[in-house]
Amino acid sequence: MTPEPAGPMLEVENLVVDFATPRGTLRAVDGVSFSLDKQEAIGIVGESGSGKSVLARALINILAGNGTRTGTIRIGGRDIDQLTKTERKHFFGVEVAMVFQDPMTSLNPVKRIGAQLTESIRYHLGASKADANNRAVELLEQVHIPSAARRLRQYPHELSGGMRQRVVIAMALACEPKLLIADEPTTALDVTVQKTILDLIDDLRREQHMSLILITHDLGVARGRADRIGVMYAGRLLEQAASEEIFTNMRHPYTEALMQSIPDTSHPSHTRLQPIPGRPPDLLSPPIGCAFASRCRYAQADCIDIKPQLELVPFDHLHACHHPVGTSKGDQALATNLAAGETAAGLVLDDELEGVS
Amino acid sequence: MAGSGTAHLRDDPDVLIRVENMVVEFSIPGGTVHAVSDVSFDLVEGETLGIVGESGCGKSTTARAVIQLPKPTSGTVSYQGRDLTALGNEEMRKIRPDVQMIFQDPISSLNPRRTVHDIISEGLRVWGGRGVWSEERIEELMEAVGIDPRYSERKPHQFSGGQCQRISIARALVLDPKVIICDEPVSALDVSVQAQILNLLEDMKERYGVSLIFISHDLSVVKNVSDRVMVMYMGKVCEIAQSDELFDHPVHHYTRALMSAIPGAQVTGQADLLEGELPSAIEPPSGCRFRTRCPKATEHCRVEEPQVREVSPGHWVACHFPHERD
Repeated sequence: MTPEPAGPMLEVENLVVDFATPRGTLRAVDGVSFSLDKQEAIGIVGESGSGKSVLARALINILAGNGTRTGTIRIGGRDIDQLTKTERKHFFGVEVAMVFQDPMTSLNPVKRIGAQLTESIRYHLGASKADANNRAVELLEQVHIPSAARRLRQYPHELSGGMRQRVVIAMALACEPKLLIADEPTTALDVTVQKTILDLIDDLRREQHMSLILITHDLGVARGRADRIGVMYAGRLLEQAASEEIFTNMRHPYTEALMQSIPDTSHPSHTRLQPIPGRPPDLLSPPIGCAFASRCRYAQADCIDIKPQLELVPFDHLHACHHPVGTSKGDQALATNLAAGETAAGLVLDDELEGVS
Repeated sequence: MAGSGTAHLRDDPDVLIRVENMVVEFSIPGGTVHAVSDVSFDLVEGETLGIVGESGCGKSTTARAVIQLPKPTSGTVSYQGRDLTALGNEEMRKIRPDVQMIFQDPISSLNPRRTVHDIISEGLRVWGGRGVWSEERIEELMEAVGIDPRYSERKPHQFSGGQCQRISIARALVLDPKVIICDEPVSALDVSVQAQILNLLEDMKERYGVSLIFISHDLSVVKNVSDRVMVMYMGKVCEIAQSDELFDHPVHHYTRALMSAIPGAQVTGQADLLEGELPSAIEPPSGCRFRTRCPKATEHCRVEEPQVREVSPGHWVACHFPHERD
């Protein structure tokens, strides 16, 4: 192995992704910056439309045709915009690999598992057919698929959903990537299968010293699997901190609201849930200030006028909020709003926060 | 159960639906799919019964067979004392308004070409005599589910997924049903919206006095809405108990495996992890259907199918060697 260059595995600086749509420009990712150390795992959590999948696609350079990207992405110290065409060919898919949500759509239904697995090995590594086959068997064994040699002759439809996702993971690992991006890798799977797949990704990451970006809508999935968690909303990274820190010491009101809206099995049944009122902003005409202001219980006048930037607070914790949860500013903002019965954005605060959108 | 038996059925005068030994099988080229095999349960007025299990366990088929879509292969489904399986089409049609359904995908379950007003009022139009047709009634329902009545001339595509699910709920309520079967009603929604819909279902249950059969693969959602929960595996019942009891003291090894797989769950004690793959529903395992993946399975489990038995008041399990209730 060549000595690895020093520095982080991934550096993303002020990443912006715009899509040209018939109704105007849609800013799907709005100034996201973060870095990822070697062998580190980060969880990117957000709801539909938060831009988390677009972020992943931008990192591996597969944006849709109407998408444009600005900002820099450095992977292993190399700016991906500086790669030559030939370098690029053996960079994405080799250094960086991706696992998508639905295993059935990422596998070709009319090609055998073996052909799909060996394709990238032969293309990227120039292996002979026999060598590629041996490597394919090895890979399937690595992801714990029983009777691997026989599976190579099977078609995707002959495998269960969990097995298919293992094959997709094996494909991603084929060229020993240094960075693995998993976009909702278990959303289409049952919980028991989900657990085995997440365990598998976790083990492989440690064994092969990979860095991991785990993209999910489920905070619980990211917990315990990621060293750090970033929370996305309306294209922006609102908060970023060590995994447990996010859960015990969340600062952004959106993170807090998201956690409170999830039913918790440790609460008795029929516990009233706290939904997030309203709906996410229209990204074709985003608000000037904080994107969450209209749904936020803490919102003050400055939230509507000034977009909060990411600020560093102790414990390596970043958040973008003028009135963060658990601080005197936040407490004061909430108290003011509760006394007035509504927020500066006009959200009515009852005892019960029913979200009628 | 992965077993059978009817011992857990209750002798309550308020029993609305009583399903006994229900079997649903589908013939396909290459064999018979045993989708639901000898399942029994009941639903008392005002209650929410949650049915959980993984894909292919028969939870949706079970609920749909209650309204005879499809008709069960054998077994009985009695609704307020009448056996639905013995009714003719016309008699069954008269009962249908009483049992309504809400589906998983809120957008595809609404006709895209019709207005919200037409979608909600259709039941009243079909059942002219039943319930008083009035614009006020439709307006009231729209208000109740949180859709501004001014939008009644809009079409489904002009609403978000959560709003479409609200419209589905209004449509289900318009005929004053006794029971609503909710088949994964929040699985397609984001968590913040999911909480809105779950709260709305609880409110509607209270306001209109309906009972719910709530199907979901998400254990935390099921725990939140249900009074009782039934766990299914491969067309059989594993365990049935009051919601809090089931989550605090799961005794079936499958239930325990499911619970320890909840993401972020703090696993206490020894976790039961599932090994291997789901067997074929065409040739299910003999005896207890869960035995091929059960950590505690013995020869006895292969030979004899466990019957439902009570491990503590109201807590029933179909397992020869259940986990000790702690």
